[in-house]
This record gives sequence, structure tokens and C-alpha cells, in this order.
Amino acid sequence: MSMDQALQTYIEESRGLLEEMESILLRLETEPQDEDTVNAMFRAAHTIKGSAGLFGLDAIVSFTHVVENVLDKVRDGELLVNDALVELLLKCCDHIGLLVTIVAEAGQTLDAEQEATGEALAAALKSMIGGAGVLDATMPAVHEARLDASGGGQLEGDNWHLSLIFGRDVLKTGMDPTSFIRYLSTIGDIVSLVTDDSALPGLSELDPESCYLTFEIEFKSEADKQTIEAVFEFVQDDIKLRILPPPSHLAAFIDRIEHASGNTDMLGQLLIEAGILTSHELDGALSAQEDMMGQDSGTKLPIGEVLVKEGVVHKEIVDVALEKQRQIRDTKAQEAKFVRVSAEKLDELINLVGELVIAGAGASLQAQRSGDVALHESTSIVSGLVEEIRDGALKLRMVEIGETFNRFQRVVRDVSRELGKEIGLEISGAETELDKTVVEKIGDPLMHLVRNAMDHGIESAEARVAAGKAAKGTLRLNAYHDSGSIVIEVADDGGGLKKERILKKAAERGIISPGQSLSDSEIYNLIFEAGFSTADQVTNLSGRGVGMDVVKRNIQALRGTVDIESAEGRGTTVRIRLPLTLAIIDGFLVGVGKSAFVVPLDMVLECIELPETDRRAADTRNYVNLRGEVLPFVRLRDQFEVNAAAGKRENIVVVQYGGQKAGFVVDELMGEFQTVIKPLGNVFRHLRGISGSTILGTGEVALILDVPALVKLAVAREGQMTEKAA
Amino acid sequence: MAKTIMVVDDSASLRQVVSIALKGAGFDVIEGCDGKDALSKITGQKIHLIISDVNMPNMDGITFVKEVKKMANYKFTPIIMLTTESQEAKKQEGQAAGAKAWVVKPFQPAQMLAAVSKLILP
Amino acid sequence: MHINVQQENGVCRLQMEGELTIYHGQEIRDGLIDHLAANNEIEVDLGGVSEMDTAGFQLLLAAKREGTRLGKVVRFVSHSQAALELIDLYNMAAQFGDPLLIPARP
Repeated sequence: MSMDQALQTYIEESRGLLEEMESILLRLETEPQDEDTVNAMFRAAHTIKGSAGLFGLDAIVSFTHVVENVLDKVRDGELLVNDALVELLLKCCDHIGLLVTIVAEAGQTLDAEQEATGEALAAALKSMIGGAGVLDATMPAVHEARLDASGGGQLEGDNWHLSLIFGRDVLKTGMDPTSFIRYLSTIGDIVSLVTDDSALPGLSELDPESCYLTFEIEFKSEADKQTIEAVFEFVQDDIKLRILPPPSHLAAFIDRIEHASGNTDMLGQLLIEAGILTSHELDGALSAQEDMMGQDSGTKLPIGEVLVKEGVVHKEIVDVALEKQRQIRDTKAQEAKFVRVSAEKLDELINLVGELVIAGAGASLQAQRSGDVALHESTSIVSGLVEEIRDGALKLRMVEIGETFNRFQRVVRDVSRELGKEIGLEISGAETELDKTVVEKIGDPLMHLVRNAMDHGIESAEARVAAGKAAKGTLRLNAYHDSGSIVIEVADDGGGLKKERILKKAAERGIISPGQSLSDSEIYNLIFEAGFSTADQVTNLSGRGVGMDVVKRNIQALRGTVDIESAEGRGTTVRIRLPLTLAIIDGFLVGVGKSAFVVPLDMVLECIELPETDRRAADTRNYVNLRGEVLPFVRLRDQFEVNAAAGKRENIVVVQYGGQKAGFVVDELMGEFQTVIKPLGNVFRHLRGISGSTILGTGEVALILDVPALVKLAVAREGQMTEKAA
Repeated sequence: MAKTIMVVDDSASLRQVVSIALKGAGFDVIEGCDGKDALSKITGQKIHLIISDVNMPNMDGITFVKEVKKMANYKFTPIIMLTTESQEAKKQEGQAAGAKAWVVKPFQPAQMLAAVSKLILP
Repeated sequence: MHINVQQENGVCRLQMEGELTIYHGQEIRDGLIDHLAANNEIEVDLGGVSEMDTAGFQLLLAAKREGTRLGKVVRFVSHSQAALELIDLYNMAAQFGDPLLIPARP
């Protein structure tokens, strides 16, 4: 008998089994399924697979394995036999037959089409059993994790110590210690073996079928603990096995414990992870721990002590593991002070709080209107609490700006090298907190300002030395809170802004008219105008088509402001002021006809009634005289085309932005109102003068006015009118 | 004198391959194609080890093991069960019946030889 | 398993033939107990032992110790290959206390 002949047997056998399967399948179509036939079919598939494994016919093993899984489900009644299943299984039989034929005609392989058929069939089968059961289709992998003996080569006397305490009944199960000890010598050398026969009773008390011997073995091997333990797997219920690693492994074990992943803080698991303890040993120690508890009046011995006492692990190793466990627990305790919450959940919460604020405002409004004092009191308490919840919820989303600042360490280092300048970065106020959504959006503007300061602000080392300054320039990033806003400063100790040059350039670009008189601050702020660039030479850092105007726009989009301060020869500071959160604003609610608008409260200066005289005059001009000052205004009714006749009286809300005042003409002043900003949909993105929307307590929508844009509009119109009039 | 192993499986080819491997290692082999067949062939033979499949026609492996354990001449004979990963329950049943060793199907001849040599030497 | 018993100059010679294994444990034990009770000196000839397992080994060891306890002599002679292998594996040649001929390993 040779393997070739055996293979021939296999081919014939498989064909026979396939025929059997096929006839069972065909019978199943007409007859109701009975257990025996299904079992016979399962067995056939099982046999084809099992034997294929012996010949290393992996293709047959893996395909038949899936078939077998399906049949297993059929056998267990989890899958019902129907025409579709029979059809599928018949095709599978054909495919297995094909695979067998290929084995028979050595040298042949599946063509692409046949291969695809096989894959499709396997996929169809897997879908029937939910894709499960394909894991063990391949041959069990042989694990050969070896522990490198430290320092090359094993030392004399550097042996594993094995202690084999066989159970009394081991011989009755047909297992003989001799065979395991002999097998042991196939994976290493038995250096010495001591047989302990002290438990052997006198001849007359001796049960010849019981085992009384225990063995202590010095074993020299490169195998790991799992491999050694596996030698005794067939007697695992009938042996007390102790495997102590060679002394040279101690260092390696200690090293492994020290570098443990920290996934577990359980001592036993820690030792298992380091390959010192096997899970079987741990189970043993745990039950020993229970046993000991009975003796020692109820106190549980620490598992570490049990392991040492039971001789499973060296005390030295347990000590190291205990230390590591303490470290892991410390870290965990640290982590436990914080709860990781997904940003999404937080956003959801804040959204809900927003709705709560709106609903609360609605309730307050109703209460107020009802004139019920008690109700009014209740709602005002609720409002107070809602406000606290809002603040609390928003605080949850507050993050320190330090991380954002620290990213610039690298930027400053790289850019200064690129520019050939020596620049250091100083960070302060890193612990200042602001809303996460703001942090995410401030990165780009900051980057631009930082690059700009390094590129245009800080002079070359020679220029600095010539000016009597330190050769090394300094860039400072600072943050602090200031009355409900966060202020971020980007400062350099460079040459400062040159007013003359700014004015000259602004005039050249037509940003200002010649001879216009401007304050220092107004001059500096010119650099934020569109199309302005003061750089004498365009370096590859700037001149990317992104000017300071973009920075300003970005910051405004965050409802922030940007301001610049400079001293010639001493440096420039750009100051960004941002709201702490983007989600909620304090607004001033106004009404025009039936529409409601919200003006961000921090921009409202005052409200005045539009005098009758001005109302009439306002048809021809859009400014009023405010205490001797010209106040351009925008009629919201006209601006947003509100189709309703003007009320009896009109009011002007005076707002200020960027040093300029303007008025909004409205019908009704409805008071302060805390509101949640809802972003506008894409459709409204280009709507001028609106920055967002909100929902009122009544359920109506109110638009939030884009004050900077409207102020600009009012000022521009007023200018045109004046020019025309002139 | 070479020791004798009985191989019980309904697959002739599996028996053949296992036989080839065991004979190559120096054992004598007796084959049985199911539990019933094996019981009929075992009588009067000196058997040192039994390798048996679980799922077989006529008499399955568990019943076969229980029968063998009742026979005075074979009650201490070590038995290797051929199980599959999905048959953990069968493996437990086999162990309770007295088959303490196991090899998981599909296996390669070398794996079978390793299991055998943990139990007996040729 | 078969035990041939020969009495010779007050020495009881037990010639063991066949398998010294768990299958015959009871029978061997009972035999040994009887012969130890009846004789002061026993020589166990292991030359015919074709097979020996731990159960058999334990019986020999127990018999030897029983002899010592009773102040009698229990001696093992002409160990077969199977017996030698096991005694060697268990590293128990000294305990058996008899001149053992340990052949060079093949």
C-alpha cells in the first residue's frame, strides 16, 4: 500500500459518497426529510473533507467545510430543506466532484470560470449560515513561538523544572506516565528525573490500577511553556502539572511583564500575556485559592501568593508582576477621572440643550403673557436651571487651546529654517479653554497669522542686530478669557507695521481715497482689506492667494473680530476675539411685520424710536441724525422684502461693528432673547445679511442678522447717496 | 514485537493514509470501517491503542468506545477520538466515555503520529 | 501473563512470562503477596517480561519494599529489555538494589 494507492481509494470513495449525497438530495426533493438521511449526507461531506485533509487537498477541505457547516445546520433543524437549498447543494456536489477529478488527473487545475463557480457557491452557502464557520477550514496552524534564550545558547543547569503529580486514576484511562515522559524527550532533553514513590502503599493495600508515583524532572528545551504543557493535554484532568521556567528565562519574563500591554490589570492575565502562566495553570491556582479559603477561616489568599505557594511561578516574577499591576492600576485610576465621550454624543446633547433653551424661552413667554404670578415664578426658576445646564453642557465641550498652540512648535521650527531666520516660539495661556468647534476652525487663520508674522513681521538676523535687537526673533502665542470671549494673540517682536507704506499701498489699490485721514488703528486694519499685501517680495510662504482678508473673513464667520496693534521697530500683535461657543448667543429680538429677527446682543448699542420727521424723510435718505452724528440705516422691511405695511411706529436698533455704527429700522422691539444658532442650509448660504436662524419659543423661525455685512451695506449706501447728493 | 493500533473510520482512504503513517512509524494496524465492524474484529487481538472516528454508520464512535471500555481485555486501552472543531460536545461525550485523547479533523499524518506517540511507543 | 514458580534451596524463583501490565495487576499482586508470605527469599526473573507499564513497575517496587519491611529478600534478576527500559526511564535502578545490566543504548 502506498500513498498513491491510498489516493486512488480516496478518489473512488469520494465519488461514491458524492453519488450517495446526490441521491439523498434528489430524494429530499420529494420526500420529507428524516434525520437519518440528513445525517448520512452530513457524514458523507464530513468524510470527504476529513480524508482530503490527510492528503493535503486544501481546496477540497475548505470548500467541503462550508458544505458541511450548512448540512450541520440542516441536521440541527436550524436550516429547512427547500428546493433552493437542494439545488444549491446539488451544484456543490458537482463542484466537489470537479475538485476530485482534478486530483485524479494530476497536473490539472481549475479554469477561471470553474474557480468563480466555486467561489460563488461557497458564498451562497456562507450566506445561508450567516458567514460563520469558515474560520477553521484550513489546517490548524502550527504555532512555534520560541523563547530566545538570553545571551545565546542555554547555560548548563539552565533547565525547566517539571513536576508531574499524576492523579490516582490516570492508569485506568489507559494513559501511562511513561509515554508522556518519553514524548517529552522528543522536544528536549531530560537532564534528570527523580521518581517519588513515597505515596506507594504496602503491597496488600496497593490498588494495582492506581498510580502512586510523582516525578520531578529537569528538562532542557527550547520549547515554550505552552508546548511543554501540551505534551500532557490528554491527561490534563488527571495531572497536577508544575512547569517552572529556566532561570535564564526569568530576565526575559520580567522584561515581558514590564512591557505588558496594560490591557488587563488582573495578575493572572498579566502572567498569561507574558507567557509565564498558562490558562490551565491559572484555573488550577484559582480553584486552589478557593480551597485554601476554606482552611484559613474565610480570607482569600492573593492569587500571587497562591501561585508561589503552589510552585507555579517564581516569587521574583510575581513581585515584578505585582509592581506592574500597581502601575497599570494607577494609570487606570488616572484614566478613571476622565470619561471618554464621543464628540457626536456631546454635540447631540448640546443640540438638545439648545432645544431646551428655546422651549424654556417659549414657556417663559407664555407664563409672562398669562399673568399668572406663580407660573411666572416657576418658569423663571426653570429658566435659571436651564441656563446652568446650558453653561454646564457647553463646558463639557470646552477644550484647552494648548494642543492647538503646540502644533505651531513644529511649524515655527520648520518655517524659520526655510526662511533662514532664527525664531523662537513662546506659548502662554495654553490652559485657556474654548469650545471644541471653535478650536477646530481657528487652526487655519492662526496658521496664516503665524506664517505671516514670521515671514513679514520678524526681520532677518542681520537687520535685527543692526537695529540693536537680539538676533533671535520671538513669536508669542497667547490666550486668555475676557468677558465672555476668548482672546488669542499672535505677537512678534519684529519690525512692526509701517504706516506710510500701508497708506501708500492702500491708496494705490484704491482702498482709501488720497488725503483721507485715518487713526493708527484704522491704518493697521487696512491690511485686512481684500487685495492688500505689503510684502515687498512674495515669498513662497505668503502669496498663495490667501491674504489677510481671508483670515478676517474666517474669524468673522466664527462671529469673532480681529484687531491689530503695532509699534514700528518693536513688533506687531494680532488679537483675535472669539465667542466661547458657536452654539448659543444672546440676541435682541426685533419684529418687522410678522417676521422676527435676532440681532446679536453684544453688537447692540441702543434702541431709539424713529422720529416722525425722520420717518418721512427716510423715504429719500437712509440716514438719521443721532445726536449730531450721521447714522446710516437699513430698513429691514426693504432689505428682506417683508410684505407688510409699516406699523404706526418704527424703531431703530443702533449697532456697532468694526468701529462703525449703523441702524436697523424695525417695527417692534421684543427684547433680549437667548437663542440657539442653527446653521443655514446651503440654499441660503448666499443670502446677504443673514448668518443663521433660530426657532422661537412659539415655534416660529427667526433669522439671525449678519451685523458686519449689514453695517457695511448701510455705510456703503450712505456714501453713494451722499456722493449723488453732492 | 510491534504494538498494534486499531483504526476505526468509515473512510477507507483515511484508514489507508493513517495506516501508512502508523506502519511507517513501526506499528501494526487493524482497520475497522465502523463501530460494529471494529468490535467484530477486536476480539482475540492484542490492541495497544484505538483511533476512532465519532460519526460513523451502523455504530457511532461514542457507542463503540463505551463497548470497548466494558471489555476486560481493552478497558485500559487508550483511545484517540477523531473530532472536529464544531463537535466540542461530542469530544466531551467521548472523554466521559473513556476516550481521553483526541485529534481534530482534518489532520495531517504527522499530527496523528504526534498524538499517538504521546500515548504509546512502537 | 504467566508466573512459573520454582523452589530451589529455600529460594522461591518466580519466572514472569508475558505482560507485566495493568491488565494483570490484581493477579500479579495477589501472587506476590502469597509468595512473600510463604517464602523468605524471592528471586523474580524478569527475563520473560515482554511488556511492562507503570502499574507493573509499581507492583515490583511495592514487593521489594514489602520484602524489606518483612525482613525478607526480594531480588530481581535477568531483566528483560522492556523492564530495563522502564526502570531506566524512571531512574530507579538504585531503588531496585540489584545488579542491573544496563546495556548500551542502541
